[in-house]
Amino acid sequence: MMGYQMHLKPTVLIGFMVPTVLLAILPVVGAPRSWLIYVFLFCIYLAMSNMWNLLAGYSGLVSLCQPAFLGIAGYAMVIGTWMGIPWWIGLIAGTALASIFALLLSNAVFRLTGVYFSIGTLVVPEALRMVFYLWRPVGGAMQGGGAGYMVKGIDGLTTHHFYWMALAVGVASMVIMHIILRSDLGLGLAAVRDNEKSAAASGVRVFRLKAYTFMIAAAVTGLAGAAYYLNSGYIEPSATFNVKWTMTMLLATIIGGVRTEEGPLLGSIVAVILYFLLARYSGYSLLVQGIILIVIMLVSPQGIVGLLRKMTWYCNLTGHVA
Amino acid sequence: MQSAPILSIQNIDVFHDTFQALWKVSLEVRAGESCALIGANMAGKSTLLDTINGVLHPTTGNITFLGQEISRLDPFEIVDMGITQVPEGRHLFPEMTVLDNLIMGSYTPNARRHKDKNLQRVFELFPKLKDRQNQVAKTMSGGEQQMVAVGRGLMANPTLIMIDEMSLGLAPIIVDEIFRTLQKIKAQGVTVLFVEQNVVKTLKEADRAYIIETGRISLTGTASELRDNEDVRKAYFGI
Amino acid sequence: MGSGELLTPILMGVMLGGLYALSALGLSMVFGVMRLINLAHGDLVVLASYASYAVMTLLGINPILGLLITVPFMFILGILIQKYLMSKAVTIGTEAPLIIAFGLSLVIQNANQIMWSPQSRGINTVYSQASFHLFGRQLPMIYLLDFLGGIVVMLLLHGFLKWTYMGRAISATAQDTRASKLMGINTKRIYYWAFGIAMISAAVAGTFLGMTFPFTPTSGTTFLTIAFGTVIIGGLGSMLGTFLGGIILGLVQTLSAHFFGANTQMLTVYLIILIILAFRPQGLFGR
Repeated sequence: MMGYQMHLKPTVLIGFMVPTVLLAILPVVGAPRSWLIYVFLFCIYLAMSNMWNLLAGYSGLVSLCQPAFLGIAGYAMVIGTWMGIPWWIGLIAGTALASIFALLLSNAVFRLTGVYFSIGTLVVPEALRMVFYLWRPVGGAMQGGGAGYMVKGIDGLTTHHFYWMALAVGVASMVIMHIILRSDLGLGLAAVRDNEKSAAASGVRVFRLKAYTFMIAAAVTGLAGAAYYLNSGYIEPSATFNVKWTMTMLLATIIGGVRTEEGPLLGSIVAVILYFLLARYSGYSLLVQGIILIVIMLVSPQGIVGLLRKMTWYCNLTGHVA
Repeated sequence: MQSAPILSIQNIDVFHDTFQALWKVSLEVRAGESCALIGANMAGKSTLLDTINGVLHPTTGNITFLGQEISRLDPFEIVDMGITQVPEGRHLFPEMTVLDNLIMGSYTPNARRHKDKNLQRVFELFPKLKDRQNQVAKTMSGGEQQMVAVGRGLMANPTLIMIDEMSLGLAPIIVDEIFRTLQKIKAQGVTVLFVEQNVVKTLKEADRAYIIETGRISLTGTASELRDNEDVRKAYFGI
Repeated sequence: MGSGELLTPILMGVMLGGLYALSALGLSMVFGVMRLINLAHGDLVVLASYASYAVMTLLGINPILGLLITVPFMFILGILIQKYLMSKAVTIGTEAPLIIAFGLSLVIQNANQIMWSPQSRGINTVYSQASFHLFGRQLPMIYLLDFLGGIVVMLLLHGFLKWTYMGRAISATAQDTRASKLMGINTKRIYYWAFGIAMISAAVAGTFLGMTFPFTPTSGTTFLTIAFGTVIIGGLGSMLGTFLGGIILGLVQTLSAHFFGANTQMLTVYLIILIILAFRPQGLFGR
């Protein structure tokens, strides 16, 4: 099925594992709560931007429907808790549902290319937002007539648990990216991105490839979203199916460096910093992010990693060929 | 019958991205003559025309037209100065009528001033077009489309008209007819540079010719000189 | 619910369709000439709505008259966007115009929100409450104005493209960019004009939309979807197709409101668009 060769430079491997272990023990050594929140958010953003990078950077699918995936997984999990289903089963179910949804969507949107695809995907979270406004799958209305749900049955869990969950998802996303990029799937995607017709003529099963990628991206994005909402304890349509998520993933990937493995990592750090800088000015956050996005695309479209790769010390360190 | 060069190309290199298409190409076209550029497919003929027209730019060397350096100018400026190209494959505006296509040819300020005069000239040279002026371009035959394309080029009021692969896909009778018209155009004072693969035909119609091979000019001379040339005879006539 | 009841939503749907077609014109033109679909189109239409709103509330001018101000404003804005953002974006890569348009879209949304708050607005004029009679039904006057506005602009644009040198140059560039360059057409300038004209139609569309429906800073996504859906259904490159596409979507909206309730209007529109995308992406009349 998928061939895989491991050829990581030792420096990179250590550079990855050491911080991971350090981050993992942060809660145990009594790090301040704010640090935990930063890292939590960083991990969620990391997972989501890795997936967006996979779609837009490596597969040529500039997808704007990510909020749909995280919303479906999140809602599946939350509604599950209302029906007595344990949160962790809901989590798995939600991830699976997001993936299936992606598969169904593939039939509709993969006939489209370029901008058509993007606009087609843009419509999906909008439609879902309306659906969840009107539809109360379980339980009575919230007080005040809102459309949200609280997460039930998570009394035994603490912030630490959610933290480790997010960390696991973030690390998993890096590992998944690493494996995919070196597998046959990754090779096929590169061919499709380069020239879809030639790839098809060479025997690449284009639709299948794109569908697998879409489903993987949906699953991981969904998982990250569900983990986020577990932590928030509450989910409602307008914040969930919201373009703010898309903007964050896009910005993180582009600032970091699209089509690079380290890009989302660096970009997510910037995204978290931005989030907290702008927290006080939430009315301006999209404006600022939008301007940053435009400026970065015009001035340095390869992002931070693009700049770093021009320096030989960085190439030596990461084993990247300049 | 030596006349002064109106177009002078000196040692240009032209690249398509990282691929070098033209190597130190030098060429000149003299006033009132009919000059040919002969070469096989992918030899660089169209690239050369595009470079003269300003669609591409040389990385080294220069191009002078009527005494002015044009290698850095935009296409619309060069057309206004009097160079027009009838592109390979004709590239008519498919949804427009013959008349509209011709009028589009007179878009530049220089051409617009002479629009009516040139329109009359085109209809005299190609009477068939006058009858079909309201026919939509994409419904016309290959030969008729070629006539429209040449006519459109003339509407730009050119001093130099460049025609790329005119005979491709056309019946020999039609090709002859159009070449006869080109002679008439030349007689009216317009200099003609044409690009062809068909060597025999070309050496009959042109005054002088350049032979281009893989991006380099390999031979030049008058038509009769080239016809008598040993290498040309071996390579192109199999003698 | 006899069939007589259907006549009102049908008439309204057709009239609305004229307006929808107008909102799609800009999108269609930019694509025809530059092969670019402007993701920020919907938000620019909303921007025009707010501009008209400002003209009315701050200057007290009737928004239709106010077009004398809003149209030049949007035209100049369009040229600036094309000159400084889009033309650069195209040289960077295939995803760049998309991403930059995405950024632009959110900048506009957020800017509108800062200036006008998230509260929904509507441009209320003397026409807002007026009604007229057709085939024995009473219909809102504003819908008639929408339809007429749409037709007028489309006819003007059609005439411009057919009878003026600049208009013909735009058509030519859309049909064959390479040949246009060889005719001496300054294609860079053509792109500015095309974008500017697209913004003019967005200005008119935004004004009339603002007079017909309440709008918020985030309405842009809806307007983009409608414009995009109109173009998809009608097929790109055909003004008649765009017009018919608009009517079809208008009918879908009003009939769905009639049968399923006002809440479902936009949802049905979205669904129809997704279905057509899935089964016939070249549209009903496309080339």
